[in-house]
Amino acid sequence: MSDVKIRDLTKIYQDGDDEIVAVDGIDLTIDDGEFVTLVGPSGCGKTTTLRCVAGLNKPTSGTITFGDREVTNLPVQERDIALLFQDIALYPHMSVRDNMAYGLKIRGFSREERYARVEEAAKLLQISDQLDKSPAELSGGQQQRVALGRSLVRDPEVFLFDEPMSDLDAKLKAELRPVVEQVTDEIGCPTLYVTHDQEEAMTMSDRVAIINDGNLEQVDPPKVVYEDPDSEFVSSFIGQPSTQFFDGRLAAQNGSTSLTISDMEFDLSMSSADLNGYGEGEHDIRVGIRPQHIRVSNDPSEGINATHILDEPLGDETHSFFDTEFGEVIVVTEPEFEGREGEYGLVLDESYVRLFDPVSGDRVA
Amino acid sequence: MSTDTPSDTDGIFGLGYRAEEKLFSRLKQISAAIFVVVGVFPIYWMLQASLTTRERASSSGISWFPTPETFTLENYEVLTNPDVALYVINSIVVTLGTIILVVLISLIAGYGLARFNMPQKENFARFLLLGYLFSPIVLGVPLYLIWQNLGLLNTRLGLIIALTAISMPFAVWLMWKYIQTIPEAMEESAWVAGASRWQGFRDIIIPQTQPAIIAAALFAFALAWNDFTFAQILLPANEASTFAPGVFRLIQRGYDIARVDVMAVSMAMTLPPLIFAYFMQSYLLKGFQIRSL
Repeated sequence: MSDVKIRDLTKIYQDGDDEIVAVDGIDLTIDDGEFVTLVGPSGCGKTTTLRCVAGLNKPTSGTITFGDREVTNLPVQERDIALLFQDIALYPHMSVRDNMAYGLKIRGFSREERYARVEEAAKLLQISDQLDKSPAELSGGQQQRVALGRSLVRDPEVFLFDEPMSDLDAKLKAELRPVVEQVTDEIGCPTLYVTHDQEEAMTMSDRVAIINDGNLEQVDPPKVVYEDPDSEFVSSFIGQPSTQFFDGRLAAQNGSTSLTISDMEFDLSMSSADLNGYGEGEHDIRVGIRPQHIRVSNDPSEGINATHILDEPLGDETHSFFDTEFGEVIVVTEPEFEGREGEYGLVLDESYVRLFDPVSGDRVA
Repeated sequence: MSTDTPSDTDGIFGLGYRAEEKLFSRLKQISAAIFVVVGVFPIYWMLQASLTTRERASSSGISWFPTPETFTLENYEVLTNPDVALYVINSIVVTLGTIILVVLISLIAGYGLARFNMPQKENFARFLLLGYLFSPIVLGVPLYLIWQNLGLLNTRLGLIIALTAISMPFAVWLMWKYIQTIPEAMEESAWVAGASRWQGFRDIIIPQTQPAIIAAALFAFALAWNDFTFAQILLPANEASTFAPGVFRLIQRGYDIARVDVMAVSMAMTLPPLIFAYFMQSYLLKGFQIRSL
């Protein structure tokens, strides 16, 4: 087993006279046995990156290394990887058993050896009684298990996933996630998982890599990405409901800093050194806070003035929508909360406030 | 206030909906019957003439139905006539050759068009179909001259090549569009498993293109088996001729070939396509079922 090193990976597409930079100099290392998820919105370059690692797309520049093998120019057949596709892509004219055995057949394994491995994998994935069926007879979840089995029997060096659960419903996703984790643990190789679903990213990964517009914004374990985002983009992408943002004013003098939002004022306990150049003078600043850390006060003069719009009761919590001078704000409130379109005040919990540069989106504090 | 019984005067001609449905159903049946009669009658005519004795046919002109006295299979003996037998064999060889060549080439061309990009691909494809604008007879003279130069006149190979070329645009178009419906992810997953492009093509694409292959084969079969124009032009010598022009010549020369014999041979030559199409039907359907995954 080995690690995966992606260095300065760039992919540029020519569209007539225009250049589309799909991937812009990505650096990423996936350690042996590590599960890294590549997340980002549609079109951000994550699938392109994955396909370059797989060998299905040729990068414009940069290198990809598996352990001590440089694979940048190796054809996909020789990379010894496994790839799970979004549309599953099982071979409809073969039985499940033959589907799973195909890779081994190409490699020249004997029939007994092939089928033995298939039986083993089928047992792990709990599809032993589907082996003689054709893929058309299986449900979506079972098909994905077969696809996993197809990869499992080959004992690959690197495991790649291309949004494999996008076509499945929420219940199936929840069912399949532990199966994926089980399989990748079993093989123990580095895993790169691409998805646009941040929940999948958070639940399955050792580290989350967030991509925006071809650039890697942050690569950290899920908890860090959640609590300590490097940029406004990361903060707004991770977490559901997403981070709420406000425009405020930061005034720093003599070691103490005060943050003003609307008519709320905080004294922040950060020194000017912590504030990355924002320590002196006054600056416009972007303030982010997660909806779980906003308190709704019945006194409209306390905090930010807000008019309640509607509630989305989820059972264990409620997502309440408010109209403020900053636009629509979502707050996570108690399950019993009922806004009744009244006037409220939104109070932000200081300790969870995150500050971002209003222009670059970089995290300030 | 009932809203589920249709009004009795809202249909066509002032009939109720039920009556309208019945009327259309009847009309459908009648038009189907007309088509059947018009289509099947010539074949029936052939069949019954081929089973009637020579005397009966020539004596009283038209016979509608072979009676027990006049029923005979002796007319089919004409198939053993060396000339006729040659025609039949030539037809079989040429048709088989055309089918094989058409399927092979269209598979590869269709795959190439479906999976690779080249400049002006769309225009090239449209250009392919332009060939069908021409009536075959227009191509007759140039074809004759070129074939003569190449030494392909009076050869079965020459006719096979010509018929293949005529079948190509449709077959290639068919394969191209059909292979396009097979997701690239399937081949990619085979490549990931270590299969080369050729292995992927052999193991993944070809098994799934069965319906298209059969359709192309049927098209080539129909074109080649029934071809008269090209066979007539490219096989001027009697020995090389296929069935269609061959029998035509026999009749023209007024040889001692009776009408009933012609009917017998024609009947014999009509059967293969019928049988072929009948059996291929089920493969065609099975293939479509697989792709519904």
